Amino acid sequence: MAHRLLVRRLWTLSAKDIRCLPASTATAAASSSSSFSTSLQSAPTRVSFLSPSRTLPRSLLHTSRREVSFNVQDHEDFTDRVIKNELPVLVDFHAQWCGPCKILGPRLEKAVAKQKGRVAMAKVDIDDHTDLAIEYGVSAVPTVIAIRGGDIVDHFVGIKDDEELDSFVSKVIGK
Amino acid sequence: MAAFCRARHRWKRTNCLHVLTRNLTGKYDYDLVVIGGGSGGLACSKEAAQLGQKVAVLDYVEPSVKGTKWGLGGTCVNVGCIPKKLMHQAALLGTAVKDAKKYGWQISGPICHDWATMAEAIQNHVRSLNWGHRVQLQDKKVKYLNVKGSLVDKHTVKGLSKAGKEMILTAKNIVIATGGRPNYPTNIPGAVEHGITSDDIFWLKKSPGKTLVVGASYVALECAGFLTGIGLDTTVMVRSIALRGFDQQMAGLVTDYMDAYGTKFAWMCVPKRVDKLSSGALQVTWTDTHTGNEHKDTYDSVLWAVGRAPETKALGLDKLGVQLRKETGKIVVGADESTSVPNIYAFGDIGEGRPELTPTAIKAGKFLARRLAGHSTELMNYDNVPTTVFTPLEYGCVGLSEEEAEKRHGKDGIEVYHAFYKPLEFSVAERDASQCYLKVICERGGDQKILGLHFTGPNAGEVTQGFAMGFQCGATYSHLLQTVGIHPTCAEELIKVSITKRSGLDATVTGC
Repeated sequence: MAHRLLVRRLWTLSAKDIRCLPASTATAAASSSSSFSTSLQSAPTRVSFLSPSRTLPRSLLHTSRREVSFNVQDHEDFTDRVIKNELPVLVDFHAQWCGPCKILGPRLEKAVAKQKGRVAMAKVDIDDHTDLAIEYGVSAVPTVIAIRGGDIVDHFVGIKDDEELDSFVSKVIGK
Repeated sequence: MAAFCRARHRWKRTNCLHVLTRNLTGKYDYDLVVIGGGSGGLACSKEAAQLGQKVAVLDYVEPSVKGTKWGLGGTCVNVGCIPKKLMHQAALLGTAVKDAKKYGWQISGPICHDWATMAEAIQNHVRSLNWGHRVQLQDKKVKYLNVKGSLVDKHTVKGLSKAGKEMILTAKNIVIATGGRPNYPTNIPGAVEHGITSDDIFWLKKSPGKTLVVGASYVALECAGFLTGIGLDTTVMVRSIALRGFDQQMAGLVTDYMDAYGTKFAWMCVPKRVDKLSSGALQVTWTDTHTGNEHKDTYDSVLWAVGRAPETKALGLDKLGVQLRKETGKIVVGADESTSVPNIYAFGDIGEGRPELTPTAIKAGKFLARRLAGHSTELMNYDNVPTTVFTPLEYGCVGLSEEEAEKRHGKDGIEVYHAFYKPLEFSVAERDASQCYLKVICERGGDQKILGLHFTGPNAGEVTQGFAMGFQCGATYSHLLQTVGIHPTCAEELIKVSITKRSGLDATVTGC
């Protein structure tokens, strides 16, 4: 928790600058935790060094900084788009072998979409990102953890119906 | 023994103080490092951690020749017991659907099986188990490292990650539980390039199609069994005998049933070469050792089930002087799972002479952890281990085979009670029960202590488990007679068995 707060403080300084920059450089800067001046210069090349699985969501990021729902690519991406997100983010820890996850996923997306950009949703496949899931204490899936300003503000495990999800999401936004 | 060993360790530790550069206090990074995250390794590491030890478990899966790899949990979870039993169940359900028509179910047309649906469901379940194990290690505070472990010296383990990163761990005790992997035949051209093993079959995304299974171990027969059951053209190629080491009368019943069930058998045959045709199919050339003639046939897949080899090559055991048995390559172990090097232990499939079973590995691992933590001196009892072969007609047994019982007590020293029975459910389904059989081998005279119990029939595993407890308690034939049967079941036939082989009478059970 302390580490996350520290990371958040370090980035708050540069984050505001990044948000103001045009989308392409913002993407590049966000891709590395090193000084963002170098990444500004090499923005296009930096994107091309990324693995193919990363370039697609990056191009999506181009179109809308306030992406509502996305798949987390790796730990760095998580820090980037979840911890550092100025929006509250609902992290949906799921697995392909989990039946209830397949039910909750679309329901959660619907609840998030209803908020018209006031909350984002990050999807983490726990088989692809086992360490991240373990780090956040996930044991059963689906587990949804709400992160606001880099801190965990709420969470639940298992399926919820549409009404329960709407109220959960509203609480997270702070309505 | 324990006190002596502990004293030795202390002496060795002070000697090693100046050698160990990692920490100045003379303490190791870990109390216990377990190499191998399978049934045995996980059980041992979790038990040790629960007893307050600082434990790390190293698990790494070297991809198969075909490139198949899997997660945490070892052979049983990923490429053994679990997917095997589920595919066996898939096959049994196919038979059940056919039986269902006789029971009044209106099922139109022939039913067919989709491999992809079954494989995906099973693979998903296995992945959930991988995750479950990962969470358990976390909960029990066992450090998990997905690295390939090898021994540097008797207190130092090197771990190599997939990315090539190296790490060093020091440990007071090291346990090797790396298990085994399927053998590829080395002298058959095309075997490695074109064949698959049990490491691959459960992870295939597409159906293996017309399959040749080479081997007659339980792995071969179980695989051939479920492949036949889901409707695939399957042939088993046997060099000499089936289920070596098991009671041969029972082995014969198992293969007879499979033969009647639709599996083809090529007895006394050895493959010579495997070639890939332009169509993509595999052409296998083999010799019938009985006639000396050569034969050819084409298959979509060739599954090698010709034995398993212990995972010891990459461990660096020779460097440390850990004794291996030359013929098998397995680690020579004492009754307390110790190796020739003090503070290095080995158990599970890797141990010479040990049963290659999950429950024995788990139990042995737990007992070892308790001994290493100084909580107990109890040794693992490897006797009276029950087991079941999950062929289309399942075979469960506990104790001695008839051959072994005769060897130990003489033919005149044993009494074999036996019966051919018919499961009630087979009657309406009009199924052939010719191979449904059981026998109880007892000492002749005296209390007639039960030496071995063998059963072929549906749910043989479920049936045998309960009797194994009786066996463990030293059950005698009179205990069997004193027990009341549950009716109507197949298991009750074990209670009612009364005809001896010696009498020569017809052993077919008549109605109640």
